Amino acid sequence: MQRGNLLISTVLWAVVALFIVYPLSFLLVESLKNAETQQYGLQNYIDFFKDPYYLKTFVNTLVLSLLVLLTTTLFGLPLAYMISRYRLKGKVIFTALILLPIVLPAYAGAFSLIILFGKMGVINLLLMDLGLVAKPINFLYGVHGLVFVQSIHLLPFIVLSLSAGFTNIDPSLEEASEVEGASGIKRFFTITLPLATPNYLAGAVLVFLWPFTDWLTPLIFGQTDYLPSISYINIAYHFTDMHRKYMGIVSVVVSAVICVSIFLLSKAWVERKKYTSLSKGTTLEGRIIYPPILIQIGSYLYMLFIAVLVLLIPVVLGLSAFSRRWVLQPFPTYWTLENFKLIFIETPGLLKNSLLFSGTALLFGIAFGLPAAYLITRTHTTGKEALDFIITLMLAFPGIALGVSYLLAFWEGIPLATHWIIMPLSLFVRRLPYFLRMAHASYLQLDISLEEAAEVSGASKLYTFFTISLPLLLKGLFVGVVMFFIMAFQEISTAIFLYRGGWETLPIGIYLNWHRGMEFGIAGAMAFFMIVIIFVLLLIVAKIGGGILGAAWGSSGGRY
Amino acid sequence: MRKRICFLSLVFLFMVLTSEVFSQQEKLGWVGPVYKELSDSLMKGFKEYYKRTYNKEIAITFIRPGGWPVCVDKVRAWKGKPDADVFLGAGAPAFEVMDKEGLLIPYRPKDWDKIPSRWGGMKVKDERFIWTCFSPWIVTNLYNERVLKALQLPPPKTWNDLLNPIYRGYIVQTLPYASGTQHEVIEITLQSMGEKEGWAYQRYLAAQLERFSTGSVDTTHMVSRGEVPIGIAQPQMNAMSARADGYPVRDLLPDKTILVPESVGLLKGAPNEGNAKIFLDWLFSVEGQRYVLEGRYFPARTDIKFSEMEKQGVAMAKHAREALGVDSFWDLKVNFIEYDLNLATKRWDEVNRYYEYEIYRKWRELKSSLALIEEVEGEIATAKRRGTNVARAESRIKEARNLFAYDGDYAAARLAATEARQLLVTGR
Repeated sequence: MQRGNLLISTVLWAVVALFIVYPLSFLLVESLKNAETQQYGLQNYIDFFKDPYYLKTFVNTLVLSLLVLLTTTLFGLPLAYMISRYRLKGKVIFTALILLPIVLPAYAGAFSLIILFGKMGVINLLLMDLGLVAKPINFLYGVHGLVFVQSIHLLPFIVLSLSAGFTNIDPSLEEASEVEGASGIKRFFTITLPLATPNYLAGAVLVFLWPFTDWLTPLIFGQTDYLPSISYINIAYHFTDMHRKYMGIVSVVVSAVICVSIFLLSKAWVERKKYTSLSKGTTLEGRIIYPPILIQIGSYLYMLFIAVLVLLIPVVLGLSAFSRRWVLQPFPTYWTLENFKLIFIETPGLLKNSLLFSGTALLFGIAFGLPAAYLITRTHTTGKEALDFIITLMLAFPGIALGVSYLLAFWEGIPLATHWIIMPLSLFVRRLPYFLRMAHASYLQLDISLEEAAEVSGASKLYTFFTISLPLLLKGLFVGVVMFFIMAFQEISTAIFLYRGGWETLPIGIYLNWHRGMEFGIAGAMAFFMIVIIFVLLLIVAKIGGGILGAAWGSSGGRY
Repeated sequence: MRKRICFLSLVFLFMVLTSEVFSQQEKLGWVGPVYKELSDSLMKGFKEYYKRTYNKEIAITFIRPGGWPVCVDKVRAWKGKPDADVFLGAGAPAFEVMDKEGLLIPYRPKDWDKIPSRWGGMKVKDERFIWTCFSPWIVTNLYNERVLKALQLPPPKTWNDLLNPIYRGYIVQTLPYASGTQHEVIEITLQSMGEKEGWAYQRYLAAQLERFSTGSVDTTHMVSRGEVPIGIAQPQMNAMSARADGYPVRDLLPDKTILVPESVGLLKGAPNEGNAKIFLDWLFSVEGQRYVLEGRYFPARTDIKFSEMEKQGVAMAKHAREALGVDSFWDLKVNFIEYDLNLATKRWDEVNRYYEYEIYRKWRELKSSLALIEEVEGEIATAKRRGTNVARAESRIKEARNLFAYDGDYAAARLAATEARQLLVTGR
C-alpha cells in the first residue's frame, strides 16, 4: 500500500518537475540575474521591495481582488441559496447561463461592455437622446468598472462552489435549529453559512487570484497602476532592457507566492474547525424547500436580474456579429451576414484545434488531477502540501510567463514545442488548479469508510478505486470537467505565444480578427460562435448530468 | 461527455497525424505584427503567383503573437532555429535590434531599386539589405469628426494645438512600450523640440489625456467608436482603413512628423530560405505591391500610381487616394523633422523608461499638480484684476510651472504653487 502511494507520488512529481518546475526554472533563474553584470543574486528582489510603485500596484490589485470577492459573494450568496434550497424551474439553464461570460477571453467581454456602457455606448446614447443627461456618464472607466466586469466573469465560481456546499449540509442540522425556534435568517447565519465555509473558500481562491493574472482588463478600461499590467508590460514589451524583463518576472513570482500563501493560510485556518457531521444521510439534492409564493417570486426576479446582467455580453456580441458600423447609434442599423462569411473558411479549423487541444488537456487533467487529489486527501505522503502549493501557484501565474518559459524550455533540448502536443500540455498545466480543487473537494466528500469497507472485504486498492470511489466521485467530478474544459477552451495568453501556423485556436482567431479594420463584428461573429458552441456543450452536459450541475462543483460534505 | 470528448480527440488525433504525414509540400512562414487584412491579402496573392509560376501549391503560415516587441521575443526564443522565414512588418528600429543580435541575414529583392533609399531624412531601406521597406507610412494623429463637431471643437492641427485646454479629457494615446508609433511620437517631440522642451511637452500632453490605451489599434478602435475623439500616434493607413469601413474618422498630418518604413527581413536559419526569397522578390514586384494595397497598406514602389491601380480594379486604391489626397504615396508633402535613427535606436529603452517612470507611473500626481498650478494662476489673475500687488506670487508660480514641466518634480511644483497662494493671501 505504501509502495503504491510512493509510486503515484513519484509519477506526479515527475510530471510536475518536467512540465512546471523545469520550464519555470528558466524564468526563476532569469529573475535572479543582474542585467548589467550577468551575475546572480537577490538584487532584483531587493529592487522590487524598494520600489514603492510596485508596492502601490500590489496593494491596488489586492484591493481590487477583495472588492471583486466581496461583490461576487454578496450577489452569489443569495443566488447559491436559491439554487440549492428552493424548488425552482429553469435552474439548469440558469447555471449554464451564468457560466457564459467566462467562456470568452477577457478582452472580448470587456470590449462588449464598452459598446454597451462606454461614453458613446448604447446606454449613454439612449440617455442623451432622451435628454436625461447632457454629458455621458462614466460607467466603466475606473475601479468600479473593473469590479463590475470581473465580478460578472467570476460569479459562477462563487455560486457553484457555495451551492455545492449548501447541498451537502445534512438537512437534519437545519431542521433541528428550526425545531428549536431559530428564525430563517438566524439559521442561515449560524448553521448554513458556517457549514459551507470550506466550499466557499474553494470558489473564493479562484476569484481572489484572478485579478492577479488579468492584465488586459485594467488596460482596456484605461486604468494604470495594477500589478499584472505592470508585470505584463515588463515581460512583453521590453526587448533590449533585460533588467525590466527580469523585474517583470520578479513581480510575478512575488505576487504569486504571497497570494497563494494567503490562500493556503486561510485554508489552514478554516480547517482548524471541524465541518464534518456524523450522519451521511444527504440526498443528491440536499435539503429542498418549497418557498412561500412571495419568496418564490422574489427568487425568480433575482435570477432574472442576474441572467440579464450575464447575458449583456452575449447579446452585444450577437448584435455586432450580425451588423456592421454599429457606432454612435444605440442599435445597429445595418444588418448583414458578411461577418460570418468572412470567418466561415477559417473557423472550422480553429474549432477543430480548440476542441482537440482542450479535449486532450482535459484527458491530461483527469489523468493527473484524480491521483493528485487522492494523494493529497487520502495519504500522508511527504511533500503533498508542496505539490498542492506548486499547482495552485499556476492560478496566480500570468499566461505569458508560462508561454515564454515553455518556449525556452521546449524548443531546443527537449523539442516538444515543435509538436502540437505542447498546446494541450500548456493548457493542462495552466488550468490544472480548476480541476484539482474540484477533484480534491469531491474526494473529501466521499466518506473514507466506504473505501475501507471494500478493502476490508478483500478488494485491492485499484479495484476499490474503480468500483467504489470513481462511481461515487463521478457526479462530483462532472462540473469540474466542465469548468476545466471551458477554462482551457478560452485560454489565450499562453497559447498565443506557443502556437505555430495551423495551430490557431478560436481565441487566437478572435484576437487576430481584432486587428482587422475597425469592424468589431468580424471578431464578434467568431466570439458569438464560440459562446454558442459552449452553451450547447453545457446544455448537453446538463442533460447528462441533470441536477448535479449546480450541486457538485468544488464541494465537500466534510472538511474542505 | 467524456467518452464523446475521448472519441472526438482520437478522431482529431488521427486527422492531425495523417495530415502531417502527407504535408511534404512547399512551405513558407511569416512572423510579424502586420494586421490581418495584409496577411490575408498577401497570402492569397502569393499562393496564386506560386501556383502560376511553379505549378505547385505552397502552404503559408503567419504567426502574430502580439505587437512587434513580442514578435521579436518570439524570434529570440527560437535561438537561431526559427519557425518562420520572414519577419513581416515593423519599422526600422525593430530590424536594427534584431540585426545587432544576429537574427537576420541580408537579401536584396529583385526590384530593390524601385524603393527609394531615403525620403524626408529617413532611411527607407538598409544599404546592407538587412531590411527593406515594403509599405511606408507617416506617423499621424486621428480624430472622430462627428464627435468633435458635436463638441464644437476644431480638429487640432499641430502638436501645440493638442495642449489647448479645450481638448482636455478628449485625447487617448498608448504607452510607448505598447506601440512603436507612440514611441516615435515621443522621439519626434524630443528631436524636434530638444530634450528639455520635448519632455515638458509630453508632461503637458499627458495632462490632456483621457486615458491610456492598450496599443495603437486600441486607440483606433476608441476613436472610431467615439469613446475618445482624438487619438495620438496612429499609423497613417488606420484612418484609411476605418474610413473604408464607414467610420467618421480622419487622420491629421501633424506639423512635425516622420516616416515609418514598414519593412521585411529574412530570418537567419530560415527553414524555407528559397521560398522566402521568392516571396521577397514577389512582394516588391508590381503585383505584390498591389496586394499590399489591397491589404490596406500603402505600396512602397515609386512607380505605383493609385489612379492606375484603381483602373485595374483595386478597391482600396480609391480610399488611399482620398485619404492621402495624392496619386502616389511619395507625392505627399509632409513637414518631416531631421530624424536621427541611430540616436533613436540607441536610447529606445531609455526614452521608454523615462516616460513610464516619470509620466505614466505618476500620471495622477502629474494631473493634480498641474490642476493646482492652474488654480493658483487663476487666483493670481483675479487678485491682479483687483489691484493687488502679485509680483512675488507671480514669480513663485512661474517657478512652480518650471518645476512641473522641466524638472518633473511634481511635489516641489505643488509646494511652490501653495507658497504662491500664501504670498497672495498674506498680500505681499
